[in-house]
Amino acid sequence: MLLLQTAPTNPLNDATWLFPALECWHILGFALSIGTIAIIDFRLLGIGMMRQTAAELTKDLAPWTLFGLASMFLSGPLMFATDPDMYYLNLSFQVKMVFLLLAIVIHYTIRRKAITAGTAGKALACVSLALWAGVLGGGIFIGFFA
Amino acid sequence: MLLTFAQWIQFTDFFTYVRSSTFFYPIVLSLHMCGIAMFGGMILLGDMRMLGMGMTRFKVSDFLDQLKTPKRYALLLMVTMGAILAGSKAEEYYYNTFFRVKMALLLGVALHGLVFRSLYARAAAWDEARVIPSQAKLAAALSLLLWTGLVIAGRGIGYIEPPLDKIHARLEQGISYFR
Repeated sequence: MLLLQTAPTNPLNDATWLFPALECWHILGFALSIGTIAIIDFRLLGIGMMRQTAAELTKDLAPWTLFGLASMFLSGPLMFATDPDMYYLNLSFQVKMVFLLLAIVIHYTIRRKAITAGTAGKALACVSLALWAGVLGGGIFIGFFA
Repeated sequence: MLLTFAQWIQFTDFFTYVRSSTFFYPIVLSLHMCGIAMFGGMILLGDMRMLGMGMTRFKVSDFLDQLKTPKRYALLLMVTMGAILAGSKAEEYYYNTFFRVKMALLLGVALHGLVFRSLYARAAAWDEARVIPSQAKLAAALSLLLWTGLVIAGRGIGYIEPPLDKIHARLEQGISYFR
């Protein structure tokens, strides 16, 4: 229901600290999800965590990644709900959503398969890091470019 | 003295450019976020391992040791970008309470590193122990608190904008900003 309201009627806008609290939750969520994804991408690039394969590492990190993604997907839509019209029409937000869709789809298809098969290389790691950087950058740009 | 330094540095050519740029500033901010995402994730997992709440297939010392290099890269990115952001609005941030809290927390991080230095150096000894020593758990819990606080204080910085013209006017009358 929160998603169907406009900015003036949405109870999320009643408390001044609620929106910044959602933002902090969002930041902690992406630190966990993108952070754990980056650990594996760094491994593929040959930086750190070299004593196990990327597949083994993925097995251990996947639940943390999922938990972080869940946090993002709970806090994100709530922030969107505070002013849906603004976000929907915001170019930076639209670009962010494209990056997010690509990043998630590639994460759970091509990337996962390649890592399991042991064929994932540096190119894939760079693509993954670039897409997630695009998601973060898009999020920041929302406040700068409508 | 700190204020004089802040005023000087923000009006250097470089930081004047950063402050007035259309794209450079948000790009630096985005890269700061990338650093936070990577470094934050690594810190969180390292602390979780020390608390025995995750990544338990790894020995503590092995996990911390293997994360050392990527953590350094992430920290370098995060701190460099953070310094550029701070320098560009140095005078305003001098008066910003959240910025001050953030700097105090960073000091806390440095102290944490200093206090627990020898503890982390002994990490290999816990590998054979059945339970992780409570001192190590305390270190991990404090680290989690400090870094969560840093995220919150960092986000808070953008929510207050000390009115510089008013402050300047009052300073000219000899009234301090901090009564």
